[in-house]
Amino acid sequence: MADPLLRLSGVRKRFQGVEALGDIDLSVAEGTIHGIVGPNGAGKTTLLNVVSGYVLPDSGRVELAGRDITRLTPQARVPLGVVRTFQNIRLYGGLSVLENILIGQHSRAHTGLLSLLPFRTASDRRLREEAREALDMFELTPYRRRRAAELPYGLQKQLEMARALAARPKVLLLDEPAAGMTADGRAALVPRVRELRDHGISVVIVEHDMDVIAKVCDHVTVLNFGRKLIEGVPDEVLASDEVRTAYLGT
Amino acid sequence: MSPYTESIVLQVGINVLLALGYWIAVSTGKYSFGHAAFMCIGAYTASILTLNFGWSLPVAMLASAVTAAAAGALIGWMALRLSLLYLAIITFVFAQLVEVLISEWDYVGGASGMVGMTGTTVPLVLTCIAIVVVYLVLLTRSRLGLAYAAIREDEQAAMASGLRITLIAVGAFATSAAVTGIAGALAAHQLMIITPSLFGPQQALLIILYCVFGGVQYFWGAALGAIVLSLLPIYFDWLSDWYMIVYGLLFVALMVVRPQGLIGRSRGGRGRPLLYWQRWVAHPQREGETVG
Repeated sequence: MADPLLRLSGVRKRFQGVEALGDIDLSVAEGTIHGIVGPNGAGKTTLLNVVSGYVLPDSGRVELAGRDITRLTPQARVPLGVVRTFQNIRLYGGLSVLENILIGQHSRAHTGLLSLLPFRTASDRRLREEAREALDMFELTPYRRRRAAELPYGLQKQLEMARALAARPKVLLLDEPAAGMTADGRAALVPRVRELRDHGISVVIVEHDMDVIAKVCDHVTVLNFGRKLIEGVPDEVLASDEVRTAYLGT
Repeated sequence: MSPYTESIVLQVGINVLLALGYWIAVSTGKYSFGHAAFMCIGAYTASILTLNFGWSLPVAMLASAVTAAAAGALIGWMALRLSLLYLAIITFVFAQLVEVLISEWDYVGGASGMVGMTGTTVPLVLTCIAIVVVYLVLLTRSRLGLAYAAIREDEQAAMASGLRITLIAVGAFATSAAVTGIAGALAAHQLMIITPSLFGPQQALLIILYCVFGGVQYFWGAALGAIVLSLLPIYFDWLSDWYMIVYGLLFVALMVVRPQGLIGRSRGGRGRPLLYWQRWVAHPQREGETVG
């Protein structure tokens, strides 16, 4: 197997004496979808926070394409290609849908004083065109001038993903993208995430919806009490009696 | 223009500059309680340069902008990474410190201040406002302006979008301080006499009130707030001792009816700025309407 794009080795994190992550090793290959599942409190979101830089691990190493990114700030990881969404949607609610996507392009655009010039540079025009394409792709074009806070929940989720993709991630971290979605919304999520993989983006997806995990993931890791319980292809992992009875309740 | 009208225009103009300068910091969601310190630094820098070194006022104003921006960057770098409460405390204490230090500094007259500065004219003030307004128009249309808004809306999300929050906020704070410093320089050369006590907590509060009264969402809201609050005490001086009470009640009433200020949309509603009255008069049921 080729070197993984994202590799965690020996990652540990404790919060006030409670072990959130204990000696986690994880590898995500380029252009694959990696699911992280487990019961509440298993450490899934902490793992995502460590990868995205919102939480620094007590020990261990996070590497992106062989480069140590363990101590980098979240904002320094974005230009390298590590981009995330949040479990509780975090949009710029007072700004328009289009503006949310333009801000998602921040790390790729000229954003200093030069951006104040009264004319648009060629690269800025290209990025704005790209933002309009993203609106089309996520069916947000009719809402582009609406404030993000006014969108229905499902569209807010789509907008958050569109904003994350605007940064051109190599690794996209999705924290419970199906949570709170309607059945239709969940059904639409599956081909969308697969499409990302087809574009060469690696996706790490934390999700409670086992149906979504089974349909989209190439690889699944099950966490429990901050430890890796089992990992492998979804069919095998989700069918394992241990996982079904003890952690997934199905 | 009569000297009386001219003095009113100058006073209002300088206050508009103060409000616009403060708005730059507020556009990133950062409220300073010590902007009077930057005004003070600008006023004293320009006064020293014009009185003691014979510089022309416009050049001295540029120096005021630089020194105030440097102070703003320093304070911003220290305070903007902390919570808003610490930012408020640090900026407030900084303003007190500047006031005390200048009161003890004999070179600039100590508590008695400096006397004899002149040169602030209506064209000079209006030119400064025009330059700042052009800057703000370009800023609000730019990606830098969007970055400011993103930081104001949600810092965690802004980090996830790759924004270097501290750097951007410090830049905004320094720019804000620079404009405030220029306003201070103009004020000093209009008043002809400055003392450290002119730049105390009351002045700091006034600058905040201009912005909050007019509305922090759009820069022209802040400018309008400065105009209204500057003119009120002039045209309502017949209220004499009742003035401060009426002023206070007016402010409380505005905050109850329109917490977003004179200009600006409420968070829950939708609609266009300046046409908010239509929602009250023609379509009052749409106020607060949301979709979803």
